[in-house]
Amino acid sequence: MDVISNSKDANKKKRVNRSAKLKQSKLDVRREQWLSQVKNKGSKEENKGGVGAKVPVSDMHEGNEGGRGVAIAKLVISAVGEENENEGLLMSDWDSPSNSPTSNMSCSLASNMSNRSVINFAGSSCRSSTSSSGGCGCFYSDMTEEDDGDDGCLDDWEAIADALAAEDVKNECENKTDENENENGVEMSFESETERVKEGVVEDREKVNCRAWRPDDAYRPQGLPNLLKQNSFPMNSDRHYGGGTVWGFKNVGMSLAPLTCPICCEDLDLTDSSFLPCPCGYRLCLFCYKRIFEDNGRCPGCRKQYEQPDQGNANAALKLARSYSMIPRR
Amino acid sequence: MSTTMNNNQDNTSNTTTSSIKQPLQSARSVDTQSVLKRLQSELMALMMSGDSGISAFPEEDNIFCWKGTISGSKDTVFEGTEYKLSLSFPNDYPFKPPKVKFETGCFHPNVDVFGTICLDILQDKWSSAYDVRTILISIQSLLGEPNTSSPLNNQAAALWSNQEEYRKMVQKLYKPVA
Repeated sequence: MDVISNSKDANKKKRVNRSAKLKQSKLDVRREQWLSQVKNKGSKEENKGGVGAKVPVSDMHEGNEGGRGVAIAKLVISAVGEENENEGLLMSDWDSPSNSPTSNMSCSLASNMSNRSVINFAGSSCRSSTSSSGGCGCFYSDMTEEDDGDDGCLDDWEAIADALAAEDVKNECENKTDENENENGVEMSFESETERVKEGVVEDREKVNCRAWRPDDAYRPQGLPNLLKQNSFPMNSDRHYGGGTVWGFKNVGMSLAPLTCPICCEDLDLTDSSFLPCPCGYRLCLFCYKRIFEDNGRCPGCRKQYEQPDQGNANAALKLARSYSMIPRR
Repeated sequence: MSTTMNNNQDNTSNTTTSSIKQPLQSARSVDTQSVLKRLQSELMALMMSGDSGISAFPEEDNIFCWKGTISGSKDTVFEGTEYKLSLSFPNDYPFKPPKVKFETGCFHPNVDVFGTICLDILQDKWSSAYDVRTILISIQSLLGEPNTSSPLNNQAAALWSNQEEYRKMVQKLYKPVA
């Protein structure tokens, strides 16, 4: 087995890629069976759908999240034969790029064990790592799928994996998969079948894979760049800061205002900072203003009499200050 | 309760120590807190400003009582002299002015024999925008530019016109506090 895997090392990547395609086609054959068995139509279904027909996008998303693990488990349980097991393992391997390096690790670990337990293990770990690692993994899965059509896809993925410093883990994963592949002796059929299916797979998959996540998908990882979010953020901030001319004016004033009240040395809040009680520009907090207003009512800055508080700002000031006036003063 | 408050007020005008040590009404202590903050901020600003000829620092046990120092400005009859002052801050400072007195005897038209200063900004022209630094600067400039029309010290006011004689009188009466 070691000899075989070593001899296959050179073509390893290519083969894995092909086997992934082959697995898709096989899955497609068993699609109906799966549909009845798999509650959450996992990412497998996405793959199946690539060959066969249109898959509901939501299903696809679901699969990328929790469904994958379940699907894999189901596959194992209902394993019809060795081929099926092999598929499952391949699936877990092939799916691993869409997850974090942790899932790759788990994959390699898993392939050291027996196939059944492997798949279950990989599946569950895939699920957990997907939920924990969130955005980047799924983002890459999208990329991988898009590039899947040509043989360079794994190289592309490796570049990403490099960036993640996860290359070693992945290679290990591939090695193991190869071994299993060879062990099962289905490689030859894989090769030929892959060639046949390849073209159709690519075409069909492109239809589906161009949108791995809808922006509004509930399971969409938070880490993924979201155009809606990006658009909405400035809108929100606009609403907050630039809502009206009054706010704009206050913003300008705030930059000129002192940070603390010159009278009591307390920090000026937003209301205080936008409070301009006197034309001379002398600013103070509402509490101190209220106190001075009730005393001699002269601006500390220019000694001019404060105007009667019949306008918005001053009213607000008095209202605020009144709540403070529960504290008796001389 | 009102008795307590009155006591506090009396104490602030003289020795504020007791007003702090006494159990204060909650409202009063809120006030005290804000005054403390203001005074601490002023102290910091004063120490950072590095103004020449003026200085002030709280007494050991009471931040409501400060000791200040003013040196006579150059080119005035008070040049070369240095005067100590006491500043006593009320509980409603800075809405009310501190009480400022000369501790060192000062022969000046607007300073009486008890050290009381007649300066408008310390009375009706007080503004809460003033602080210790501006008070000391104002008093320093008052030394060189007295208001002889409403003097507390009539002799000094009368002698002001003769700067040479006035300088001699200042030197003669100057008794710096050890």
